[in-house]
Amino acid sequence: MKATGAYEPIFAGERRKRLDDVFTCYPTKRAALLPALWIVQQTHGWISDEAMTEVGQVLGVTAAYVKGVVTFYTMYHQHPVGRHFIQVCTTTPCNLCGAEGVVEAILEHTGCGDLGATSADGRFTVIEVECLGACGFPTAVMVDDDFIEGVTVDGVPELLGRYP
Amino acid sequence: MPALLINGQRVDAADGATILDAARAAEIDLPTLCWYPKLPTVGNCRICVVSVEGEDKLLPACAATVAEGMRVETESAAALDARRGVLQMLLERYPADHLINGGRAEPRNEFEEYVVRYGVTPRAVAAHELSLRQGDERPGDPMISHDMSLCILCTRCVRACEDIQVVGVLDVAYRGEGAQIVVGADGDPDKAACTWCGECVRVCPTGAIFEVMPRERFGESRVAADRVVRSICPYCGVGCQIDLHVKDNEIARVTSPTFEETTPNDGSTCVKGRFGYDFTQHRDRLTKPLIRKGWVRRGGRWIWEGATGAARRGGPWQSMTEEGRGDKPAAPPRAIGKRIRDLSLLERITADVRDRATTPETWYQPFREATWDEALELVTQELTRIHADHGPDAMAVFQSAKCSNEENYLLQRLFRGAFGTNNVDHCTRLCHSTSVSAMQDALNTAAASGSMREVEEACDVIFIAGANTTETHPVFGVSLKRAHERGAFLIVADPRRTELAARADVHLQMQPGTDVALLNAMLQHILAEGLENWSFIETRTHDFDTVRKAVQPYTPERAAAITGIPAELIRAAAERYARGPNTTTIWAMGLTQHLTGHDMVTSLLNLILATGMIGRWGAAMMPVRGQNNVQGSSDMGAIPFAFPDYQAVADPANRDKFARVWGVDPKTMSLVPGLTVTEMAREGSPVKALYIMGENPIISDPDIAHAEAWFRTIEFLVVQDMFLTETARYGDVILPAASFAEKTGTFVNTERRIQLSEQAIDPPGQARADWEILVDLSNRIGIKSPFSSPADVMEEIREVAPAWAGVTYARLRGGGLQYPVPHDDHPGTAFLFADRFPTADGRALFHAVEYADPGELPDDEYPFVMNTGRMLYHWHTGTMTRRSRGLDAREPVATVEVHPDDAAELGLADGDMAKITSRRNSIVISVRMSDRVARRQIFVPFHFREAAANLLTNPVLEPHAKMAALKVTAVRLEPATVPATA
Repeated sequence: MKATGAYEPIFAGERRKRLDDVFTCYPTKRAALLPALWIVQQTHGWISDEAMTEVGQVLGVTAAYVKGVVTFYTMYHQHPVGRHFIQVCTTTPCNLCGAEGVVEAILEHTGCGDLGATSADGRFTVIEVECLGACGFPTAVMVDDDFIEGVTVDGVPELLGRYP
Repeated sequence: MPALLINGQRVDAADGATILDAARAAEIDLPTLCWYPKLPTVGNCRICVVSVEGEDKLLPACAATVAEGMRVETESAAALDARRGVLQMLLERYPADHLINGGRAEPRNEFEEYVVRYGVTPRAVAAHELSLRQGDERPGDPMISHDMSLCILCTRCVRACEDIQVVGVLDVAYRGEGAQIVVGADGDPDKAACTWCGECVRVCPTGAIFEVMPRERFGESRVAADRVVRSICPYCGVGCQIDLHVKDNEIARVTSPTFEETTPNDGSTCVKGRFGYDFTQHRDRLTKPLIRKGWVRRGGRWIWEGATGAARRGGPWQSMTEEGRGDKPAAPPRAIGKRIRDLSLLERITADVRDRATTPETWYQPFREATWDEALELVTQELTRIHADHGPDAMAVFQSAKCSNEENYLLQRLFRGAFGTNNVDHCTRLCHSTSVSAMQDALNTAAASGSMREVEEACDVIFIAGANTTETHPVFGVSLKRAHERGAFLIVADPRRTELAARADVHLQMQPGTDVALLNAMLQHILAEGLENWSFIETRTHDFDTVRKAVQPYTPERAAAITGIPAELIRAAAERYARGPNTTTIWAMGLTQHLTGHDMVTSLLNLILATGMIGRWGAAMMPVRGQNNVQGSSDMGAIPFAFPDYQAVADPANRDKFARVWGVDPKTMSLVPGLTVTEMAREGSPVKALYIMGENPIISDPDIAHAEAWFRTIEFLVVQDMFLTETARYGDVILPAASFAEKTGTFVNTERRIQLSEQAIDPPGQARADWEILVDLSNRIGIKSPFSSPADVMEEIREVAPAWAGVTYARLRGGGLQYPVPHDDHPGTAFLFADRFPTADGRALFHAVEYADPGELPDDEYPFVMNTGRMLYHWHTGTMTRRSRGLDAREPVATVEVHPDDAAELGLADGDMAKITSRRNSIVISVRMSDRVARRQIFVPFHFREAAANLLTNPVLEPHAKMAALKVTAVRLEPATVPATA
């Protein structure tokens, strides 16, 4: 998907410096593709076609190759998402313990309505994910980079309140 | 060398060969889909699986290496079963309605042929669980289009783009059930740096990626060509072999010959070669001879009864100057970087934009159609009369680097033999004439020492001086990129940041015209570091001491001050150049088209000789030749100082030899070298009768306003061309000539490879092949020419040209021959000068050169330096490419490259109209902002009649070769006051 408005390069100033630091951890620039894409996503919240082209130029790989990688991993967003990105585990153990109710509560309280949609205030986007690896502590939820165990329907409003 | 049994047949395979390699070598047929020659093997389609004794699984033949004693069955029941399974799975997502009669009849592509061969029946569409594939589609693209529902994800296109063309427009995205081929990140091939070479079209096994033109003309069904004819691409000096598919006497499509033959292009082409063929069928083609109205035949003689004076050659057209300054459409959106899919379809591009490139109706008005007999009678009468009245010096001929060797041979034979003049030249004058003069002085040679293949395969360092190879010689440019990918070190000296400069390890971005300072400084540093090749200097050269002394003052610091290149970069480049071990040196117009072009090439040759980077496989001296036959035209004597094969006209022995073969009296032939192209068409020239074959000097000469004025004053002008060009409109007689596809002949590429191009279609109307016209005319004028085919002409050529003595048409089929081919059994010469140079004592000569400024320097009034040159999609004066739909759609209007900061200062933006003024003239042109040019430099391609770069260029001539200084013109740039029409 294309970005709206004029495109501002991502890798300038401080972010360029961060990327240069990342480069020092890898044998080639190409190998730094995934962290470079993380920098893009942390900056814009998602990865536009234009950003893929820029990443390709900066890393010396083709834009089509970058797109192949971005579209392979579900954790890179190819569309704009809310300020906070919520992932709810609905795999068997969580589901047995009420994950679907948690999903419904989160959709209701965020105002997102549907999975994958963004709330009108642009604050939240909610998706279901496969096992987050916390089967002993259902329901497992990730909000942005925070990992939260034992979320219940009743705890949802308080949880959301932590993410203005 | 392991030996194996395939289907019971013993096959000897090379070490490391795959089962597929072995089978192919033994001509055992194996199906392949994802495998393609020269592409990296991925082994993902599994259709080539075979049974191997002792293996419990089937092995993919393309990826399994052979072993001694292996027993392979290619048609085992298990293998056949697996292949059917593969095809059945692919058919699940393949549009069933594309298979005619369920795939039983008329397979439309490689994939469907396998479906038929293995008898696979697709399931009913309703039973398909997966939708058809999708992918980026290139809507509105004038040359390449996609129907990705046909895609079987073999990824040949991805690898061809990435690994053969080294571009990487395509890749697989959305891996998983929705996997598809994408174009760049956003579907825009332009942004993904697509060069429209069509390599993807070539390798696609299903037609998911296809050429637009044949489909528009013949519909979707596969075009069954009436015949396929081997030809040579009519554009640049790489000399790609191409196959013309002929349907109903039209070229239906162009493909490239199989990779297994030794051709200069290994099956690749560039955009011009693959898509630039439709000019041959353009409505502007001349189909009958034209005679200027005013010529009437009375009492057996032709008499001019038309207007005299300035009106004599008038016509209802604007002069080049008027057109250059005039109002014109701005560049359409695509030319300034917008998405191609946002553009209107080609059909909707306004007629205005396209028709300016073609011949306006009014241009035909001063002419009437004539018969061949009338036209040739008039030409014969007037050439003979002017020769009788004014003598040999009044006669002159512009030969053509676009015509075959045979044709060029015949034309110079006619003028030298019948009219005793050496006023014989062609566009090499404006091309590599300074290289030839410098190479003649130093090495007594006039051609590249090596081959393109050795550069790709064997050189360690590539030094490119003033050559934009990826645009001007794209197929060779790509092989340079492949060489760089395999690890060759790339140094590019260019004022512009061209594609190769941008990918180079060292880019020496100099001020235009300062090359001598750079090259002398590189040599100075090499000597200071002791990196010169002493044994080479001592045993293979003379006069090194003069050069050693001359370069001493050129320290890198001093060169840095002149060239603007940091001294450190000069040092680094010099060291890498000298350390090699095998360095190839490539140069083109960036070095030659200067007031000091001869000196620039000389200083480069000094560098080559001092480091001994010549005469080894991988260390080549490569002046890349521009036109498809500029090498051959020179070889055939289309130059003022030499007969064919560079035999000096000044030598009476040579004269006597040619006089004998041509059946003329030696005393009527001239021993004096003639005038050059740049000397013929200017005030004060003695030329009164000019014969032009396939050249268009009114766009290609420097300062064309003056050239145009001169053409109006000439006494008699004959133009032999496919179109009524800007030059032809001033002619007395226009002879309609055949295109490359309509005649047979030989061409010489930039690596001295003589290749045969065969006639594919008939010329339109009464147009005739150039050689036929010349044979007819020679016989009328009185030079006996008993030739009934180009092959007959070649027989005479090999009699007079020692380096061509072993050349026959029969031997040229296939890969051609690289001359020298001194006798019938000689295999040709891939690279020269291993032991000696062709000088009297076998040694090369050093010549000291000093830096001099490039002539016209910028000042306060003219603060910019204008550089001229070519672009990928157009060719020279645009006569052919601007009549090729796809090519012209990519670059429909003239643009000037301006650095964004300069543009901002002047208040110019992309698509704005700017006025460029030099000390001679001005043009109005559309702006394209680009950081390929440096500050205070602009680049104007010279293809466009309506904004002809050569109105501005400086007609001052280089003293050795009479080359024009086309690369450096001081100009002023300002927003145009002429309102641009949208």
